[in-house]
Amino acid sequence: MIPILLFQTDTMKVATLQTLNSIWILFWFWLAIIEFAIILFLLIREKKRNTNLAFSDLTKDIVKKSKTTTINMDNLMNSINSSGELYKELSRKCHPDKFVNMPNQKNAEEIFQEISKNKRNFEKLLSLKQRAMNELNLNF
Amino acid sequence: MWYKIIVIIDWFGEMSERHRLIRDFNRAAKTSFINGRAPTLLETKITTGESDYRHAFSKFLGGGFRIKALSGKPLERDEMIEIGKVVLDNEELVRKLIALGWDTLEVHDSKGFNGLKWALKKHANIGGYLKQSE
Repeated sequence: MIPILLFQTDTMKVATLQTLNSIWILFWFWLAIIEFAIILFLLIREKKRNTNLAFSDLTKDIVKKSKTTTINMDNLMNSINSSGELYKELSRKCHPDKFVNMPNQKNAEEIFQEISKNKRNFEKLLSLKQRAMNELNLNF
Repeated sequence: MWYKIIVIIDWFGEMSERHRLIRDFNRAAKTSFINGRAPTLLETKITTGESDYRHAFSKFLGGGFRIKALSGKPLERDEMIEIGKVVLDNEELVRKLIALGWDTLEVHDSKGFNGLKWALKKHANIGGYLKQSE
């Protein structure tokens, strides 16, 4: 009697293990499917975003030219450090209100406009300073 | 086949141009600091950049152009804004940065983690750019 009972319990154990095993396989299968779906969704979203990016209508050939333009870094450094003071000085001395009813009023207006346009370009401001000295007879 | 070789050559050319720009900036910053024209020593480096500022030419994990104060006088917020504006006012430089794969301009002080960020695509004046390249 006892061995039969043992046998029965063993078969029951095997059966439960088999069902557990199949449940686990199913679980991992569905997990893999969900992961795959998430990856697919992320890839599609990334592709969509790339097509909506700025400048996506430009070809590489158009921007190729600007890759090799030379930038005057010394001018950039001078602009960072000294353009503010120079701009203040120039805008104060070349203000068109100081040249009202004078023959060089128009020149003063032009120079002032240029100064305002290039307020952060040190090189340009230096050339405008020279122009102001010549055309407006100013001393700095 | 030839197309792929050209793409690879372009990629290497682009990378060398990026590093040349960084090197030139750092050299000019160092020179002006040594000469006493600049109160703060600036240095640039490549960072990951801001993902919201990406554009079609952005480099993966290399879209940030960070200007950082290394030593000397600490930078005030107004000074950081001014540095950013000087760079953004230089249209040629902005276009070059965009063409070489940068999308974010960052200006940081020597202390702390706070800094300022600008999206380069907003300052590219792309209309003028297209006219010039025609």
